[in-house]
Amino acid sequence: MFFLTYLRRELRRRMRQSIFIALGLALGIGLVVTVTAASAGVKKAQADILRTLYGIGTDVTITGKPPAFKRPGHGGGGISIQAGPGGVTLCQNNKCGKAAGQTINSLSSDGYAPIGQSKVAQVAKLRGVKAAAGGLVLRDTQFTFPKSFGKPGGSGPSNIQPPASFTVDGVDVTHLSLGPLNAGTLTAGRMLTAADANANAAVIDSGYARSHKLAVGSTLKVAGTSFTVVGIVAQPQGASPAEVYIPLARAQALGTAGGKHLAGEVNAIYVTAASAADIPAVQREVQRLLPGDTVTTAASLASQVTGSVTDAATLANKLGKWLSVLVLIAAFAVACLLTLAAVARRVREFGTLKALGWRSRRITAQVMGESVVIGIIGGAAGVALGLAGAAIINRVAPTLTATVPSTTGPRIFTGGGPGAGPVAFGPSGGRLLGQAASHPLAVPMSASVTLGAIIAAVVLALAGGLLAGSFGSWRIARLRPADALAKVA
Amino acid sequence: MYQLTAVTKRYVKNGSTVTAVADLSLTVRQGEWLAVQGRTGHGKSTLLNLLGGLDRPTTGRVVFGGKDLAGLPESQVTRLRATSIGFIFQTFNLVPTMSAAENVEAALIPLGVSASGRRRMVAAALESVALSDRARHLPGELSGGQQQRVAIARALVKEPQVLLADEPTGNLDTDTRDDIINLLERLWRERGLTMILVTHDTAIARRAQRVGVMSAGQISIGPLSAA
Repeated sequence: MFFLTYLRRELRRRMRQSIFIALGLALGIGLVVTVTAASAGVKKAQADILRTLYGIGTDVTITGKPPAFKRPGHGGGGISIQAGPGGVTLCQNNKCGKAAGQTINSLSSDGYAPIGQSKVAQVAKLRGVKAAAGGLVLRDTQFTFPKSFGKPGGSGPSNIQPPASFTVDGVDVTHLSLGPLNAGTLTAGRMLTAADANANAAVIDSGYARSHKLAVGSTLKVAGTSFTVVGIVAQPQGASPAEVYIPLARAQALGTAGGKHLAGEVNAIYVTAASAADIPAVQREVQRLLPGDTVTTAASLASQVTGSVTDAATLANKLGKWLSVLVLIAAFAVACLLTLAAVARRVREFGTLKALGWRSRRITAQVMGESVVIGIIGGAAGVALGLAGAAIINRVAPTLTATVPSTTGPRIFTGGGPGAGPVAFGPSGGRLLGQAASHPLAVPMSASVTLGAIIAAVVLALAGGLLAGSFGSWRIARLRPADALAKVA
Repeated sequence: MYQLTAVTKRYVKNGSTVTAVADLSLTVRQGEWLAVQGRTGHGKSTLLNLLGGLDRPTTGRVVFGGKDLAGLPESQVTRLRATSIGFIFQTFNLVPTMSAAENVEAALIPLGVSASGRRRMVAAALESVALSDRARHLPGELSGGQQQRVAIARALVKEPQVLLADEPTGNLDTDTRDDIINLLERLWRERGLTMILVTHDTAIARRAQRVGVMSAGQISIGPLSAA
């Protein structure tokens, strides 16, 4: 009781100084809490982006490497247009004819090379793998040449309008918990089931449904084949979903890659690891099994994400962290110096207490107690400041953008004008024309104060108090009563 | 009570060595009142510090109650101060944030006395110096004489064997000085204290049983008077 009375009285006597020290600690600790909360919010935004891009439940994705470009007529298959003295020739799957009036209807895997479906089972048996499922990432392209195409005075290659296309995912209906469709929420109708394995049933994205005025029961054509819409799914904000999902077997039957059908082929394998700790090992094992294919994890996709979300993460993790550390060091230094100064002013008082028979450690405990109380007050104020900072961030909620590079999409290769040379519309290679090379996404920033951050704040507050108190204690331990009392004279 | 033998105290100040006490030998009997006079800088306060264990001699022995203070570990010297030696200072040295009662109570903290025991002893100490009605006042609310009374209560609350007073009336006016000296004398007689009092005031010194004069670090003691 005497200890607390003395402590309380002393803090009241030095109220301005105590408040100054507490405020300094509060600023440092508040900054730590706010930066930690902002960092957690940015990490959450990144995780949300990755989850929607990557699919919930998918830890590793394998895709076939984009095949090397082969010119049509040189074994490349696919679709090509060649302009020559005789007019414009359209070749589809090695069958050629006049382009004018012809229709291109292609469901092709033009971003990834095929992978044998047997590889899916091999991947599923690898150590650390919980489940694996294959899929096809395709693009349906439809284009009809004008009847006057290639004729003198008619339309030519230089004024070809971009074809109409939409993305199609062939999904394994027995493993719907893996792959991009898993992230979606059903908003109408039903999901695909195992019973749909060979049916012309499709689930479509809600945005696609809106823009094309489709509903459950509507019909759409995929590679010229009619499919019935059985469900509509909404993907999370920031996702780059396929527009249409059909059973894998139907996609294999209708799709092509390099002019060849995709029976028994996939071009993506989605893998769930047994645990997060297994992911790196699974990635290595898969790379050994499929050395020619691309194996990615959420971590490797994260490294490709650019935009302000990445900048914010860098800002929070690097600048924010170091700024917090600097402010904390400054606050601790001020606390230590002011405590030393306060002890110096009380030298006569402590000398008297020693003369009364007080041991150094009792006096030290008194000074330590005062410093710890100031630290706790600073810590409480710091947590309050941190919570206020996080609340401000949540209120303002600045929008963070993320850009993820895309490797899908038709590639058009043009040499311009009659006689200028061949124009190829091949499965890969060439330059992109008017096609976005990335998916820009917008995510609102948030900040969440975690229990860990509050515990860290309390620890920092106590550490600040103890550090300042220990400086004072060091001074007291060196204090010789005779010297202290001589200051009176 | 005290036996000082060939005590020398030197310390370094501003790069030069100062001999505050030089080869001093002194005996103080139990229950004796010794006044120490001398000019400023001749070692009076240093002598008091050595007697109170607040400082250690460079050479020589300071024996108190049969124990050489110079040879004891600091913890034991601190314990002796807590139980057996009371101090009174010229500038009172009260803790400004504590009330009169709490300042007196501070002397009992190292002894581990219970809270109720402390309250009782503090009340008795303040009554002995006629300050019971000022128990809750802070030092800033007390006169100089009242503050010195609180300091005397603090020094005597633990019922020490020795009272060491360094210019106890130095900061007081004449009337108050007399009050304080009368109080000290009364308590000395009532309690059989051994009191060593440093003073510039010859009138006060003459009230003691013996007067020692410090000069250049050495003391010359007068005859014992019938005080």
